Amino acid sequence: MKYLVMCEGSNELEVVRILLANNRLIFGEDDLLGLTPYHARQIENNAQVRTELNMYPGNDVCVIRIGDKQSDKLRIPEEYKDKIVAVNKYCTKPELEILLIINEGLVSEYEKGKSETSPKVFAKRYICCGKKRYNNSSKFYHDYYSGECDKLVNALYEYKRSRGAHQKDELYLADLLRV
Amino acid sequence: MKLLRVKANHFKNCCDGYTIDLVAKSRKTAEDKEYELQEIAPGLFTFSTMAFIGKNASGKTSALELLDCCYSIIEGFQVENKYYSYDGIELEIFFYHEGFLYLYETVLGADDTSTKKAIFRNQHIYKKEYYKSGIKDIYNKKTFTELNNLGVLPEDTSDIFFVLQKKRLYSFFFDSYENDASSYQLLFTVMKTYNLDADVLSSIIRIFDENIHDLQRIDDKNYRMLFKGESLTLTDTQLFYRLSSGTTKGLLLYIHMAVSLQQGFDLLIDEVENHFHKTLVENMISLYKDKTVNKHNATLIFTTHYCEVMDQMGRQDNIWICKTGKTIFLSNMYEDYKIRPELLKSKQYYNNAFQTAVNYDELMNLKRLLKK
Repeated sequence: MKYLVMCEGSNELEVVRILLANNRLIFGEDDLLGLTPYHARQIENNAQVRTELNMYPGNDVCVIRIGDKQSDKLRIPEEYKDKIVAVNKYCTKPELEILLIINEGLVSEYEKGKSETSPKVFAKRYICCGKKRYNNSSKFYHDYYSGECDKLVNALYEYKRSRGAHQKDELYLADLLRV
Repeated sequence: MKLLRVKANHFKNCCDGYTIDLVAKSRKTAEDKEYELQEIAPGLFTFSTMAFIGKNASGKTSALELLDCCYSIIEGFQVENKYYSYDGIELEIFFYHEGFLYLYETVLGADDTSTKKAIFRNQHIYKKEYYKSGIKDIYNKKTFTELNNLGVLPEDTSDIFFVLQKKRLYSFFFDSYENDASSYQLLFTVMKTYNLDADVLSSIIRIFDENIHDLQRIDDKNYRMLFKGESLTLTDTQLFYRLSSGTTKGLLLYIHMAVSLQQGFDLLIDEVENHFHKTLVENMISLYKDKTVNKHNATLIFTTHYCEVMDQMGRQDNIWICKTGKTIFLSNMYEDYKIRPELLKSKQYYNNAFQTAVNYDELMNLKRLLKK
């Protein structure tokens, strides 16, 4: 079994890279297709993912999609239908920035104005790393979490504990954490 | 240093104003930035991979030779041992180096004392500081300032010396000529020069021939090979005949690729598919696009007849179509064709969208003759 980890955005990719580097996931690099997670929304649009699927000879690829809502269905091109045996999606709703908000203890502040302010906008307004304000960059996530992976892990567990709005097929990133 | 654009007049049988641009032009998505592009300075993106396609005798090799000529000037401040005539070649080279953009202009000539070296005439170097806000104007000569009174050098040495000052490699050119027994000496020399781990060689060997477990150099002419558990001492010529030509070429190319990725050198390969399984070509492209492997902005620049390879390339502005008429000229897939991005490039190639199809009538003429 190889996992094809497809992250919706570069920030999700950075979060997964931090968890991988700190050996906090139920899989390691060796378990991943091409030894790495990918920034890819759909297989057909991503040449790098297609190349890795072409090179891999097995028919046991499990796709792990990571993003916020992922309302668009993953389209599996005909040539990979035998190769891909499962697709699971892991969500951080409504947006990945909710993890930063949890870490900063600002959930109740965010909840007060959530009808008007998205987590992204809220984070840009209130969250800093040192002197640097949140700017929706993967470098911010790197600076914020890479030295303190426990902080990220705690936020993922807290997100799962406190946010029950997931559909049946929407798993939690915390489900991928090594216990 | 990163090469950005070259323009040539009177280079081989290329058209005047023959231009190769290594800077991304079309829209850059977040996924492109992760895989297809390298940000060498804020907002300045070059390609992870770049391809030249076209029929036989369309000038694919000439495109690489022009790039190789420009790299030679930048790397060692000289052009030598090329088989084409230098006389009258006009070059315009844009490159980025340590926060500045440079434009270098020169006209090459043949050295009267040595037929193998070029001399540099009418040299001009222009410089400007790079700012992200000026990205649309990076090739505007009016925005550069000429560097004057640089000094005097022998005429076979380029004034780029005054900018870069130290000889160093920025590229490898892997042409399509057949290898010989000296390949192994070159292989081990490259490994030693760039401190490449022996494990990398062992790993590469196993990709090409699972029966070989180790290869070591005893001296420049003799090697020890562990073949199916048996230790063999072989001269370079014996080794050359023992290994398949694909294995020898593969070892040499993959070692150069490993160094290129490690050092950030651009790797120029003529006919990337020559001797190789398609998966190995795909693997090379994939490695250059993976930033966890390609950490120093190396670019893979290649010519190919494998049009399926283009489907691995997520953009169009890094694909050049070589064509020949009275002279050789280049078209850019993004600038000169309206190909919908969701369509497979290989299908378009087979549909002759780029006017690259082999002449069907000539093929049938030959068949008719063979049937007689």
